Amino acid sequence: MKSLLLIIACTLALFAGELQFEHNFNKALQKAKTQNKEVMMMYSATWCPECNYMKEVVFKNKEVVSYIKKHFIVLTLDIQKDTLPEGFNYIGIPTFFFIDKNAKEKNKIIGGSKADIFLQNLKALK
Amino acid sequence: MKNIILSVLICSNLLFAFDINDLKKLKEDGDCPMCDLSYADLKGLDLSMSNLNDANLTHVNFTNTIAHKANFSNSDLSHALFVNSNIKGATFVNAILRDVNFTEARIWKGNFSHAIIDNCNFSESALGSAIFDDNNLTNSTFGGAILYKTIFKENVIGIPK
Repeated sequence: MKSLLLIIACTLALFAGELQFEHNFNKALQKAKTQNKEVMMMYSATWCPECNYMKEVVFKNKEVVSYIKKHFIVLTLDIQKDTLPEGFNYIGIPTFFFIDKNAKEKNKIIGGSKADIFLQNLKALK
Repeated sequence: MKNIILSVLICSNLLFAFDINDLKKLKEDGDCPMCDLSYADLKGLDLSMSNLNDANLTHVNFTNTIAHKANFSNSDLSHALFVNSNIKGATFVNAILRDVNFTEARIWKGNFSHAIIDNCNFSESALGSAIFDDNNLTNSTFGGAILYKTIFKENVIGIPK
């Protein structure tokens, strides 16, 4: 029993500092409404180095993670598997759409950047 | 009189170092291989997929330009400005890059193989997955640059830390 609790505690600690990604637009929107947050929808691809940098480096930065967790539900859509919901357009990947409770685009960030700059840009949206 | 004519010729040459027809061709076709565009102001243009192979691009201003997958191979880009440009996937193979300013440029997947890189400024640029092969980077600066999965082949001298 003790071992099981330890494993659970370790697992929770492991994921506490990580972002949880949603993959379904409606589910993300519902979750955002419930938690009184906005949806940050990332449109990306696995073959895009800029997208991978955001996922593997920027989204592991403590300050970025903490800020995003506080304000957003993160939804990731893949350019090869998912079509963008109606009303959303992009010119390149990665594109970050910021979506309000009514499923409308409030803001957009095009392209990736270093953690400090991305955080600055996120804060500027608020 | 001869002096006046000579002065006018010298001045006009300084003002328009590039070939006007070449600039027109670039703007109309989007391509201009082997062209003379030296000193041209190409600020903010969309040159995505443009072929600028083997061109004279010395002192060209590419500030804020979008040039995804543009081909700058074999071109002379000495003293060119790429500040804040978006040149993802651009190819600089065998290009001459002397005193080029790439500050804050987005050069993801750029290919610099066999380019002469001398005193270039890559500060705060994004060079993720870019390829450096057979280059000497000792006197170029990379402060604050994103070097995520950047490929530096074994024959590169002065690999930034």
